[in-house]
Parts: sequence; structure tokens; C-alpha cells
Amino acid sequence: MIHDAACPEALSPPTIAVERHGVFFTSAQWAPESLERLADHLDRVGARALDRLDPARLLDAWSRTVGRFRDPASAESEALRPVLTRFCALSGGGLDAALDAVLGGVDRAAAGRLFTEARNREATRPRPASRKRGRLVAVVLAGNLPALAVQSLLPALARRRPVLLKSPTSEPLFAPAFVRALVRAEPALEAALAAVTWRGGDRALEAPVLERAGTVLAYGDRPAVDSISERTAGKCVVYGPKASLAVISRQADRVRAAVGLARDVALFDQRGCLSIQAVYTDGDSRALATALAAELAERAASWPAGPLDPTRVAAVQQLRLEARMRGLYQPALPLASGTVVVDPIPQFRPSPGLRTVRIHALQDLAEVVPRLAAWQGRLQGAALAGGPAWELESVLSELGISRCAKPGSLQSPDALWHNGGLHPFDALGASSQDAEP
Amino acid sequence: MLSERIAAFVAGETGDGFDALAGEAFALHFEHSPPLRRLAAAAGLTPETLENWRQVPLIPTLAFKTMKLAVAEPREIFRSSGTTNATPSVHHHPYPELYRAVIDATFPRALLGNLSRPPMLSLVPSREDAPESSLAFMIEHVLASWAGEGSRTVAGPGGVKARSARGFLAARQRDRRPTVLLSTAFALVQLIETLDRLQLSFRLPVGSRVFETGGYKGKSRELDRPELLAALERRLGIPPTMVVTEYGMTELTSHFYSSPRDQRPGHFAVPPWVRLRVLDPETLSEVRDGESGLLAIFDLANVGSAIHLLTEDVAIADDGGFRLVGRAASAELRGCSLLSEELAG
Repeated sequence: MIHDAACPEALSPPTIAVERHGVFFTSAQWAPESLERLADHLDRVGARALDRLDPARLLDAWSRTVGRFRDPASAESEALRPVLTRFCALSGGGLDAALDAVLGGVDRAAAGRLFTEARNREATRPRPASRKRGRLVAVVLAGNLPALAVQSLLPALARRRPVLLKSPTSEPLFAPAFVRALVRAEPALEAALAAVTWRGGDRALEAPVLERAGTVLAYGDRPAVDSISERTAGKCVVYGPKASLAVISRQADRVRAAVGLARDVALFDQRGCLSIQAVYTDGDSRALATALAAELAERAASWPAGPLDPTRVAAVQQLRLEARMRGLYQPALPLASGTVVVDPIPQFRPSPGLRTVRIHALQDLAEVVPRLAAWQGRLQGAALAGGPAWELESVLSELGISRCAKPGSLQSPDALWHNGGLHPFDALGASSQDAEP
Repeated sequence: MLSERIAAFVAGETGDGFDALAGEAFALHFEHSPPLRRLAAAAGLTPETLENWRQVPLIPTLAFKTMKLAVAEPREIFRSSGTTNATPSVHHHPYPELYRAVIDATFPRALLGNLSRPPMLSLVPSREDAPESSLAFMIEHVLASWAGEGSRTVAGPGGVKARSARGFLAARQRDRRPTVLLSTAFALVQLIETLDRLQLSFRLPVGSRVFETGGYKGKSRELDRPELLAALERRLGIPPTMVVTEYGMTELTSHFYSSPRDQRPGHFAVPPWVRLRVLDPETLSEVRDGESGLLAIFDLANVGSAIHLLTEDVAIADDGGFRLVGRAASAELRGCSLLSEELAG
């Protein structure tokens, strides 16, 4: 039976059987007291266990675990993937691609680089010996993307910080499955890691965890992260909602750009903060739209969209009809494959999802900067193609864009990515920060 | 003039029938609205080939954010309220008298019943404070037409003026005159929160009622509807059966009222000058009876801008009316996180 918690057995609370999306699993019933015991155990016992653990062994256990979750034929994958497709509303192909993108960013090579940097940091800035409490990192996860837990788990482990992962109730199963597999690979981690879930916003339930944690990383929508932030002054880092875009120079190879853009649009069904929602170009916008539509159609064959949410479909229908009324160029595409519209209004507008992209033609690529100014601090990434597009990297960075990459790579950051402009180790620092500049 | 004949139809005067007026409205739009004509041309449709109102091309509500859809010189401009950074819908309205005719034909029947010029308390900003609000336009007309002595508006740019509201409520408790409260859901929550904070309750006279509209769009504080209804009974003595909900939008001229006594929560009645369709979200073809889908509204009173409107709301056709079951997801930022309230459609 699948379980929605992974924690030391002695600290596990009573469970009940639950059915959701046709999946039966057991759900741990947490109370403030049991969460307080768990947080205390992780912070005291778990921190000591991590101090004793050879980093090379930890890195090896991590790498083997990631490898098992990337391997579709592993026992872990066979048990979890059919379940995740339902909870994450992705197709099988879409889920495989999503997992590969996320887990590929924390593979042995990437994790090794992070561990090396952690070692260097410890050599230059050793942890104060007096710090015996408050090493626990509490991570409040969002539910729109699968496997995101690994992005915060790895840096914390590299810095030998015990971790409590709080999964969203909408997808409570990946994190505990990953933690259990990691503990199987390295049993010494059992005292230092937990993955649990409860309905977010229960202040009484959350109080002991938020109080005990030395660092809180909060992912989620604005009200959720604001609520956590106000209760964790001085130690919370917020990863709130953001949007991404592309800038394609006329000098870029159009077909190659379209192939990459299609990947960056379709991956995660356009639900990630690095998912491209708009494209700016000084080249032939209609030709780029045609090429992108063709590539989206290709992607839809290999990564079909997940089940279509009627309310999201409604928003896309609005956009399609409105574009027809304005006589805008809109290559024919089935709704589930995506929507591409060439829109002469260059104002950045977030896409309603379902792989929907507006392409805006500019005379000069530098015009993109004032078009995005109103979104400063709420932009995450930019896919750039062609020399003139890359010349904008520094000004885009000033708008708060934390990742620039060539089309096709935007959604595959590795473990050293400064999400929100913050180094993953700095996010674990004691002072409170918002990852939105 | 077509708008005048539609106003007569709305008022229940005999004359043209719905289908004839719908055909003329389409012809008017075909002539004066290039965006509509573009859609019609793509469908091979002209006023001569139109067979029934269902064929009239759908106009998405989103179009009100990017286009001026008026078929005549606008005399009122209504703008939707919304969230920070959101693009508002703008309804360039050429026929405000038609809007008044709609209010006259619906509001008294839905709200007043046997009350004659009751004192009204409006928690909706006045036209002076919100000159581009279609709701403020409506409430101004309601107050001018049916409000009795002692009526007042207690909302301003800063929200509900609680002291003035308390004075009104205390006066009605004393003089025992049934009252009508006109408000958005959000303003009601503001009022209730004030009364909660002061631990103050009123027992408004039997027959008092609430007109509630608007929801919480763009607001950070929400209260579940059952909680709101319970709070209204607790703090004002108005039972849930006396709370009438209005469904309307800036993009429409007509609006729809719930009938709380008929035991069908969320059910809205459709007036004779309106037709509705429930459409499959993917194909935009009509669903079978009882199935949910996107709500499309054909509103003769919207002859000044868009007569056949595709909304973003999900509904089920129900006994000549409809039941709302969901709102569409608007464009939002995605933050390796869930939905945001920071809309930017």
C-alpha cells in the first residue's frame, strides 16, 4: 500500500485508508504533538546523524536513488508513475519528460558539483559549533509540478541540514516515496529526513514545525506563501508565482528555436515558473509561429497533454476567439496540442495555459525591456536565441529574471540554479528572504 | 430605433418577438462591428442567411479587454474592477436607457415583492466615487426609483463607512421598517467583520432582505457563502431565504437573480429577452441537458456591443435557467506553485 508519509517508524502517527483519483493509499493523521516530536527528532537526532555521515556516501546514495527514479523500469518508477499521472494531471509521456527534466538537474554530476561547493563553503565559513538547534529545514511544497521536492532536498543535504518536506494534499506521494528510497540507499538518513502532508493553512498544526525549523522554504500561491511568511519572520524564503518568456533574434535558426521553444512550452503542460508563456522576436513572427505550431503538434504526439481542465479550456477558447475577432494569425492546432497567436500588442500577458503562447513582433529586441518593466520581480526565466537576444541578458537580469538559457534548456536548470536570484545555499541561511527581488 | 423596440420588449409591451429582434440585432452588428463581421464571414454567415439566433457568432468576454465593441457612439463607459495588474474589461455602452429598462423589469420583481419604497442601505460606492462601475450605475437607478426615506449609501473609496451603516441599521431596528441591503459580497464581509469586532448585532424587521452580487474577485479576504449567510442572520437577523444573489458582469447589460426560496442553491432565472446555451468547452457545441459546460448568453439588451457572449463560467442549464458550477481559470503566473490571485488577463 502506498503511504503519504516517510518518517522514523516510532514517530509515525495513526493512519487511515484514503482513495483519491482512484488510488488507494494510507494517510498519516498528524496532530500538533506528533509533528512537534517529529520536528524535534529531526533537528536533534537527524542533525547528529548527518554530521557523522561521510559526504561521499551521501552523494552516492543520492545518485543511486535519483537514478532509480529516472529509470522507468525500476520498481520505484513502476509503482509511482501510474499514480503520479493521475495526481499531477499529466499524460504518461508528459510525466516521464517532467521527471527526467527535474531529476536530470540533480543527477550525480550536478549533485557532485553542489557537494564540492558545500565542502568549499564549510572550509571557508565553518558552521558555528554552538549551533545545536534550528538546523531543521522545513520545505512547504506546491502541487503543480512533480518531483520538485528534490530541488530543495539536495542543497539541504549537501549542507548537512535535516529536512521536513511538507507535500501538498494535491500530490502527497512523490516526496515520501523518494525519501523512503533514499533511506533504503543510506539508512543513516532515516533520522534526518521526513516527508509528510497535511491540509495547508492549519496554523495550530503547523506552529511546532515552523517554530522548530531554522529555515523555511515556501513554494506556492501568493496567499499560501504570505501566510507562512508572516508566521516565520526572519527565517523564511518564499518562492511565489512567476512567469517566463523567450526572446528570439532574427539571426537565430528559426527551426532550431521552434524545436526548443516547443519543449519549453509543453514540458509540465506549461505549469512551471520556467514555462514559456510569450515569445518576442524581431524576425518573421508568422514564420516563427508556424514553425512553433508544427513543433507543438510533434510534442503533443510524444508528450500528450494531461486531462483537459474545462475551466482552463474555457480561458483558451476565449483567447482563440478573441484572436479570430482581431484577425490575428493563428496556425491551426488541436486544442490539446497548444495554441499559438501572433499578437501585435506587445504587452506581456500570462498565458492561460494548455501550451498557449503569444508571439509578439518587435522592430528592435531592446523594446522588450520596457514591455516587461511592469512585471519586474515576477519574471523567472528567459529563453534566448541569437546574439542580439543574448545581449539583453544583463538587463533581463535586472528585471529579476534568474535564468537565461537557449530554447529547449530553459526548463532544465541544475542543482546550482539561483531560483529567484538566490543561491540554493544562501536560501538555507538563517535570515528571512523573499526569492522575488 | 432597434434599441427602443428592444426596450419595449424588455418592458413586456407587445410588438416584435424575440427571434425577429435577434435577427435585426445581428444585422446591426454585421454592419457596424468589423470584428463580428470577420467571425460571421468565416462561418459564411450574413443577415440574409441567418436562420436563428444560435448561429450568431460568439463574442468572448476577453474581447472587452482588447476591443471597442460598441455599434453606436457610447454614452456610458463601464470598466470592470479587478486585481492589481489586471487588464479591465471595458464596455462602451451606447444605450443606458436600455440598461435602465432591464433594471426596471427585473429588480422590483426579484427584490421588492410587496415592499413599497423601503429604506435602502447601499454598500456599493456611488456613481460619484465609481463613475465607470456598471454596478454603481445600477444601484443609482435603483435608489432613485424605489428607495424610501432614510436610504443612504455608506461606501466610499476607502470601503464601507461602518459608523454610518450602524446608524442606519439601528434606526431600522427602532422604526421597524423592513429594509433592503444592496451590496457586493466583499462589502458584506467588511460590514460583518466590523460588527463582529464590535460584538454588535441587529434584529432588522421581518421582511428585510439583501441584494448580494460580485463575489470576491481580486480580494484577499474570502468567506464561504454558507458562512456569509450564517453571519448575516447572526448579525442582522436576515435569514438565508431573504438573500437574493445577482449574477452579472460588466460585459452584459442583463443580469440574473437567484430565487433563494425555491430550494435550488445557485439557480438563476432567465428573463424573456435572454437565451442561454451551455457549450462543450472543447468543441463549443451544445451539451446535452443536465451536463455542465461553458455558459453562452444571448442578450438582446446587449445590442449596443455584443449580443451572443461566451462567458468564462461553467454552468448547467436547469429548468429554464442555469446553475453556476465554476469559474474559468484566468491567466496567472505560475511559480513552481499553484494558482495566483494576480490575474493579468
